[in-house]
Amino acid sequence: MSITTCTVILDNGASTIKAGILGIHDEQPRVIPNAIVRAKGDNATYIGHEVAKCQDYTSLRFRLPFEKVGARTLTIHPLGPTRYSCQGFLVDWDAQKAIWDGLFSKEVLAVNTAESSLLITEPYFNLPNIQDIYDQFVFEEYEFRSYFRCSPASLVPYGPLLAKPNMSPSECLLVIDSGFSFTHVVPILEGAVVWEAVKRIDVGGKLLTNHLKETVSYRQWNMMEETYIMNEIKEACCFVSEDFAKDLETCRARPTRNPIVQDYIFPDYSAHRPGRIRAPGESLGESYQTLTMNNERFTIPEILFRPTDIGLEQAGLSATVAASIALLPEDLQGMFWANIGLVGGNTAMPGFRNRLMAELRSLAPIDCEVAVYASDEPILEAYRSAVAFAARPEFPQFAVTREEYQEMGSNACRRKFRDWKPVEKDSARGREPAKGKGARGRADEDDESPPPATKKSARGRGRGRGASKRQS
Amino acid sequence: MPPARRQPVRQAQNTSGPLDPDVISKRTKRHLDELERSNYSEPTGSGAHAGVSGEPDEEDEGVAPGGRTTKGRARQATISDKRQWDGKKPKKSTMNIRTAILYKKNLAVLLDESGIEQMPPGVPTYLRAVASAPLEPPRLLCSVCGYWGKYKCKRCAMPYCDINCEGIHNETRCERRVI
Ligand SMILES: [Zn+2]
Ligand SMILES: [Zn+2]
Repeated sequence: MSITTCTVILDNGASTIKAGILGIHDEQPRVIPNAIVRAKGDNATYIGHEVAKCQDYTSLRFRLPFEKVGARTLTIHPLGPTRYSCQGFLVDWDAQKAIWDGLFSKEVLAVNTAESSLLITEPYFNLPNIQDIYDQFVFEEYEFRSYFRCSPASLVPYGPLLAKPNMSPSECLLVIDSGFSFTHVVPILEGAVVWEAVKRIDVGGKLLTNHLKETVSYRQWNMMEETYIMNEIKEACCFVSEDFAKDLETCRARPTRNPIVQDYIFPDYSAHRPGRIRAPGESLGESYQTLTMNNERFTIPEILFRPTDIGLEQAGLSATVAASIALLPEDLQGMFWANIGLVGGNTAMPGFRNRLMAELRSLAPIDCEVAVYASDEPILEAYRSAVAFAARPEFPQFAVTREEYQEMGSNACRRKFRDWKPVEKDSARGREPAKGKGARGRADEDDESPPPATKKSARGRGRGRGASKRQS
Repeated sequence: MPPARRQPVRQAQNTSGPLDPDVISKRTKRHLDELERSNYSEPTGSGAHAGVSGEPDEEDEGVAPGGRTTKGRARQATISDKRQWDGKKPKKSTMNIRTAILYKKNLAVLLDESGIEQMPPGVPTYLRAVASAPLEPPRLLCSVCGYWGKYKCKRCAMPYCDINCEGIHNETRCERRVI
């Protein structure tokens, strides 16, 4: 290999970190919990990658770098009082550093960070003051040679999800990223996120697991301490209903025998027996205990489509997609309806795509094609897209170097990393893609690339997306 | 395992008249906050005093409660300093890094510092990106069994589906919270 500097890729999620070295872990990243875990069984503390060594997942307590630091009702004019939670932002840097230290060490990636480049993902609408701390850790603590920071969805255009054979990817793409903390709808036009049209629903995998935990604790077993186990049960049993009313009736009519009801056999760690779904008709010995999953299988994921089911006053996913598309340039809306991609763990639930398709079909204009592309491995999609982006020859142009940081501090990053923030005055000339309602979205006459500080060739433009179009 | 069969239920005090709608909506909000906690293990909404404070439990921090910081106070213990890998001795961190590790800031401070509330109206921010209110009215699901909840408890407004679930509701959950 001719690569002298290795590039480290971190899809740094609130639940798991997908991490690897470009050229080595391109297909399969290391996936480690972004958590510090205290186990009840041995009273030991496991940091990030060490969680895999834990033998007994009973009553785990979690400390998460992406922690909610408080939720309260804030009055933000002109919207009036609204409830905001600050979860999903990186706030516990002590925990994050402990996990990253382990990740970069010989125990996992074995990289010399001072001789490497870094591509790291951050939450959508990450706060500027928190972004500064990212920069500080990257350059002051780990001393990376260069780095690039962006949201996960902004990488998806480079990845496998919407790649069609022998065709250049669509200029318009709408990414639905349903993760641990939130669900985001993120339109991308010519490689750039249209931040004015990005929408967020405050429902993520964490809330769904907690709701399931609470529901079964009320109805059957007290599982309130068993977040880890309930998350596994959620992943094993839950699905998105394609006909909610019908499925409710099915479960009601014969609660113990119907096509939906399942028994989940609890894990028994002392017997090294993982949890699993009981096979139909399978008889079990006395040492087995089971949890019956009836309408719980689909009423929990249903919250993504109907947040009001738990009293959350937010539109469901399909209506939010329609609301986002309505904010985009009118002549391009059809292209967004036809290029919807799903990433994030919740989209792995069976039925998710079909339900969304059906609802979107009824919301879209009749003459409009609606197409939803599901990822085979939605948890890894952003990572694999990051690999594809980092492998491009122009990638180094987008990164900020250690020297630039030493010279200008976080200003170097603010200037170069394009995100939701308004472009700073001195570099603002003529590049404001899709400002306002997106009406001026296609500034064809203008170069709207993420500022490649070094040169402005057609190659460096628009993260490659618009390059061929401009030349033709 | 194995876990205990359904916990002893909190006995509801079914004594006075219907609850104030404000109290009901506060409880719903509090419940939503609970559902976002990392170590959510004990519903807090029981009894009439619930839903007042709006602050999450101290224990929400999870592991190492000793390391928790409140306003302006440095952490007493850090976990990142404790563990070294590869036998390397710890690097001397910069002031910026020490500050980030030692002082964990709360939401109000972070939002305040970020300046996003003051950004001009056209600028999209975390606060403005939230999904709009739903167009359709909420549908009622039985708070006991999950089936359609045709009826609403006269005291606490939680939906239930039939006389059986109404009985369970009255015994266990009435007044605890809404929806
Ligand atoms: Zn019922
Ligand atoms: Zn009641």
